[in-house]
Formats: sequence, C-alpha cells, structure tokens
Amino acid sequence: MELLTLIIFDGLFATVPALGFAMVFNVPKNMLVYCAVGGAFAHSLRFLLMDFGIQIEWATLIASSFIGFLGLYWSRKHLIPRPVFTVASVIPMIPGSFAFTTVIGLVELNTVGYSIEMMQIVIENGLKTLFILGALSFGLALPSILIYRGKPIV
Amino acid sequence: MSLSPQAQTELTRIAVNAGQILHQHGAESRLIEQITQRIGLALGAHSIELSVSSDAIVITSLYEGHCVTTTRRCYDKGINMQMVCDVLRICVMLEKKLLDASQVKERLMHLTPYKYNRWLVVLMIGFSCSSFSHFFEGDWPVYITTFFASSSAMIVRQELALRHHNPFVNFSVSAFLATSIASIGVLFEFGDKPQIAMAASVLLLVPGFPLINAVSDMVKGHISMGIARWVFATLLTVSVSIGIVASMTLTGVSGWIY
Repeated sequence: MELLTLIIFDGLFATVPALGFAMVFNVPKNMLVYCAVGGAFAHSLRFLLMDFGIQIEWATLIASSFIGFLGLYWSRKHLIPRPVFTVASVIPMIPGSFAFTTVIGLVELNTVGYSIEMMQIVIENGLKTLFILGALSFGLALPSILIYRGKPIV
Repeated sequence: MSLSPQAQTELTRIAVNAGQILHQHGAESRLIEQITQRIGLALGAHSIELSVSSDAIVITSLYEGHCVTTTRRCYDKGINMQMVCDVLRICVMLEKKLLDASQVKERLMHLTPYKYNRWLVVLMIGFSCSSFSHFFEGDWPVYITTFFASSSAMIVRQELALRHHNPFVNFSVSAFLATSIASIGVLFEFGDKPQIAMAASVLLLVPGFPLINAVSDMVKGHISMGIARWVFATLLTVSVSIGIVASMTLTGVSGWIY
C-alpha cells in the first residue's frame, strides 16, 4: 500500500516535467495529454522496477521500450510522428545530473589537479550517463528496429 | 503520369522544402529521409535520393533518366514538433490524392510555427525543475528555491534566444544565473539539503532532444548525423557546466561533487 502511494506520487510529479518540456518542444495542444500520461507511466514504471532491485540502466530500457510501443499505437491512431510523444515522455528519465557532474568533475580535474577520487567521480558518472542515455534511445527506437525495419510508421 | 522537365524541377523544390522544414525544426534523420522521399514519389518521380548532413540537405530526383539536384542550407530554428506534425499531415494528404502539387507548395509555404505563451512555458519549466528536486528527495523550501532559480534561468534563456545569441553563450549565462540564485538558498540554509536546488535548477538546460535524436540517428544508420548531434549536445553540456563552475567559484558555494 505504501509502495502504491509512492508510485502514484512519483507518476504525478513526473507529469509536470513531461508537460513542461513538451511545451518547450511545441508539441501540438491536443497531444500534450499523451505526453503527460506517457511521462507519468514511464517514470513510475522505472521507479517500480528499481524498487524490485533492477539496475537503473535496465529499468530505463524496459520503461522506454514500453513508451516506444505505446507511442507506436498513438502515432498510428492520430497520424503524428512518434518522437512527438515519446521524447517528451522520457524527458523525466534523462540523466542530466550525471552528465553535468561528469563535466564539472572534468573542469575540477583541470583546476585542482589529478586525484583518484575525482577521476572516479568522472568515470562513474560518465558511464552512467552513456548507458542510461543509450538504453533510453534504444528502447524508443525498438519498434522501428524490430517491427517496421525501415518502413514508414505513419 | 508524365512529367515535363519544369514539373520535375518543381517537384524537387517541393520535396526539398519539406525536408528543409523538417531538418530545421528538429526531426530525426530517418523521418526527414522518409517524408522527403514519400512526397517526391507521390508527386511522380521514379526515385528520390538524398543526403542529410548536419547543416544542409542535398536531394536528387530521377525521372526517365533525367536528374534534378538541389541543395538547401538548414539553419536551426529550434525544436518545433507542431511543424513536423504538419509536414507529415501534408505528406499523408498528398499520398491519399487529397492535394495536388501546387496546393502542397502553397501549404508548405504558409506553415507558421506555433509557439506557446512564453510566460506559461516559464511557469511550467519552473514547476518541472521543482519536480526534479522532489525526485532528488528535496523538501518544500528546496522546491521553492528551485522554482525561482529555474524560472529566472528560463526567462533569460528565452530572452537571449529571441535576440539570436549563440546557444553556447545562452546556456552558460542561464546556468550561471540558475546556480547563483540556488546558491542563495544554500547561504541562508533554506531547507534541509539546499544543495539539491543547485543540482535541480539547471536541469532545464539538459539538451535532451539532441541527445535522444543523436542516439536514434546512429542506431538507424545515420552515423555522421548522429555524431554531429552528439557533439553539439556535448558542447551544450560543457557550456552549462562552465556556467555552473563560474558561479560556484564566485559565490564560494559548492553544491556538486563535494
């Protein structure tokens, strides 16, 4: 029960960035609600999977491939290209903090000088960024790689 | 259907115009390629060959041994999914024979990008970054600090973008401002872990769309385009980090790493 409340709150908080960034990308008005639903679904699914002890990269891959297939259904229904829904939906999962920590670590490495601790921060955060991002985009591309294989979706 | 040389030139221009609009408004390479080819084929060409690079597209239309080639420079006009949707809709209507060549040309010429009210976007981005601070386990004071820091940064980002400033300069300045405002929260110990606000308030500057497009371009075989987008996104990340470091050095407050 406690987990359920946590998941619902996680989903509710994830709708806000999905909506906000969808507006920055100028997603058409009547499609905004799909971005919000997708964002909530993806982030709460990842939260649930990570709660089961799955690593963040694999959880991201599973969540984003769900969004990929959901976007496939919506895009064929409304004749809208898939990135319109999918990218805004996965925005709450983008590893922005990891990416900035990596580069700030690199800058510090130059100003303060080399240290194993700093190098560890840079490498660990950098690898996290790369793998989460790869999982995210690969999951979204999965329907067109596996099912459509070069044919147009709409 | 037979095409005169003039009609073939016209067809090529229509197709390249569609591709140019898609490229300028942030569509992925596969989509640019497919829609341009579909429009060209629907207008009667035998085949459309195109090469998409990071700042231009080159397209050749073939019809009974005649080739017409044309190139368009594609200056970045900012991500706008509504334009991408409209071009796709025109393409589908053309394929269903609801439009002819002149109508398609007319419609493509008159597409205007829709923009949301900028203050509404500022408000939403403020709340978005505050939600990120919640994901990082911040409490209510941190939520409020993040809101003010990130919405001021968004106002600056929009103002500088409106004045056509270089995106790298724009992102550094916005990151500098966001971090400086968030560090006030740290100085006055506003909330339990005020450093979270510094991390969350710059997340509006993460180049999410270019990064996702970069990987999906590379996955779908447009390696050079993917690398170009990846480098652009990386440079944006570096300039944001420079802004953050500059602010932390000036104020002496560190919210990252230490």
